Amino acid sequence: MGKPPDNDVSILLEGVSKRFGNFLALDNVSFRVNSGEIFGYIGPNGAGKTTTIKIIVGLLSDFQGNLSIGGHSMPKERSEVHKMLGYLPQNVAFQEWRTIDQALKTFGKLSGLGKNETEERIKEVLDLLNLSLERYKKISQLSGGMNQKLGLAQALLHMPRLLVLDEPLGGLDPASRHQIKQTIVKLSKAGTTVFFSSHILSDVQDIATKIGILNRGRIIQMGTLEELKSRFSVGNDVEVVLSYDSGHWKELESFKGIRGIEQPIPNRLIVHVDEKSNLDDVIQDLIEQLIVLGCRIRSFNPLSPSLDEVYLRFVQERENT
Amino acid sequence: MSFALLMKDEIRGFYKSKVMIFLWIGLPLLTMLFHFWSSLQGGGIPFTALSAIITSGIGGTLASVMLTVSIINEKTQHVYDLFLVRPVRRWNIILSKFLAVYACIAVASLLSLLLGLIIDYINVGSVSGTVLNDTVLSLATSFSMMAVSSSAGVLIGVVSPSVLVGVILVIYGGNQISALPIIPTILNISNATLFTITFGTVTTSIMLVLAIFLFNRKQL
Repeated sequence: MGKPPDNDVSILLEGVSKRFGNFLALDNVSFRVNSGEIFGYIGPNGAGKTTTIKIIVGLLSDFQGNLSIGGHSMPKERSEVHKMLGYLPQNVAFQEWRTIDQALKTFGKLSGLGKNETEERIKEVLDLLNLSLERYKKISQLSGGMNQKLGLAQALLHMPRLLVLDEPLGGLDPASRHQIKQTIVKLSKAGTTVFFSSHILSDVQDIATKIGILNRGRIIQMGTLEELKSRFSVGNDVEVVLSYDSGHWKELESFKGIRGIEQPIPNRLIVHVDEKSNLDDVIQDLIEQLIVLGCRIRSFNPLSPSLDEVYLRFVQERENT
Repeated sequence: MSFALLMKDEIRGFYKSKVMIFLWIGLPLLTMLFHFWSSLQGGGIPFTALSAIITSGIGGTLASVMLTVSIINEKTQHVYDLFLVRPVRRWNIILSKFLAVYACIAVASLLSLLLGLIIDYINVGSVSGTVLNDTVLSLATSFSMMAVSSSAGVLIGVVSPSVLVGVILVIYGGNQISALPIIPTILNISNATLFTITFGTVTTSIMLVLAIFLFNRKQL
């Protein structure tokens, strides 16, 4: 195999399995994450997300199958991969006698940064994560959220081309989450490959360019959010917001092409359109009939399933089979 | 580069834990107190011999317990993950920890012995060749015992699943092993110093190699 190009930071897993005693944590997992992609890895507790991540970063080397990162075979060429890797573990921990400054200086130097470069980068990442005021604080005095931010700071410090983040947004306040999501998107646009796991599906939906769903050690779905949604049919649901509700819409429940109508809150209707009917025709008739029945329409939107719905549906389907 | 950096960091951590202050100031003071108490009892154990027993006994035990607890805690909290995903070799982590702690207790031991020599000089008026010989032997004995003790602390830290198990093993196992280098002196064999140093070096090396081997194999 020739030397891989420097800008290649793709991740390729082929038939990766990992067993802890009798327990099969990963079962023949295969997927590819291309350079510059943001890969959201989701799944229930104990699905094998952290095991996959530990294999990718080289902390678990005893596994079956093939793993290649940026063209380097793992775990054999681990030292090459570590040069381009930034990693945030789940429940990140540091030696508590250190201050933030001391921890980052050590990690900067260990990652190959020079003294001045380390100093500059520490300033930049602390500014980015709003941690500048805590720079000389002891780690034992940090809150959970600050500790998490420090974990991110050490992962970003040496400007890695591959970021592997295990639950990076857990324990953070909404403003910090927003800020970190923006940072991840910015890094991805600059060519950094980001692989992250999360339980907060709305965050995955916001930033992931590709999503993998893992259940009981197996990949059950993989693709972009749109691809996952298209594989998952919730029927043709339509949301109607009324500016005036005459209450007569109930008469439309038995209307041709409509499976049912719900009113979750006043003036808001969810119309379940029969999947076999032509959505455009039914919508046209629906608008006309609502007006005839004395309702005034403010807005009309076809509903798209959220990642939460897609995830639950796929996981439940797999559990049932 | 990473080894020197890690060792410097470990010494700093040891310093921050305040144990170093106890070792460097407390141990010589404790030795001196024992010496005066022993003189009052009419025992008159040479200070140098006393300091070797105290520094290796207390300092060695303290060092091994510290190493065990520190390694187990850092291992269970996955502190090493952040080091191991960088271009750092696993043995650097273990050896830097051992050397940092050992260097600190070696300094404490030297300080105690230096104080012993000064006090013996003040009491007797001169330092005889016998006293100097005793000092060298006591230095070799205490350094060897502390090295064995510290390496036992590292090995137990690597293999123990919990702090409680680790501390029990160190106190009941590590201390017994650390007494091995004193055997040539007890048996009064000729060249006891050389045997003590050899015994201490070999035992320490075996335990460190074993600890590094197991740490390398461990899926942290």
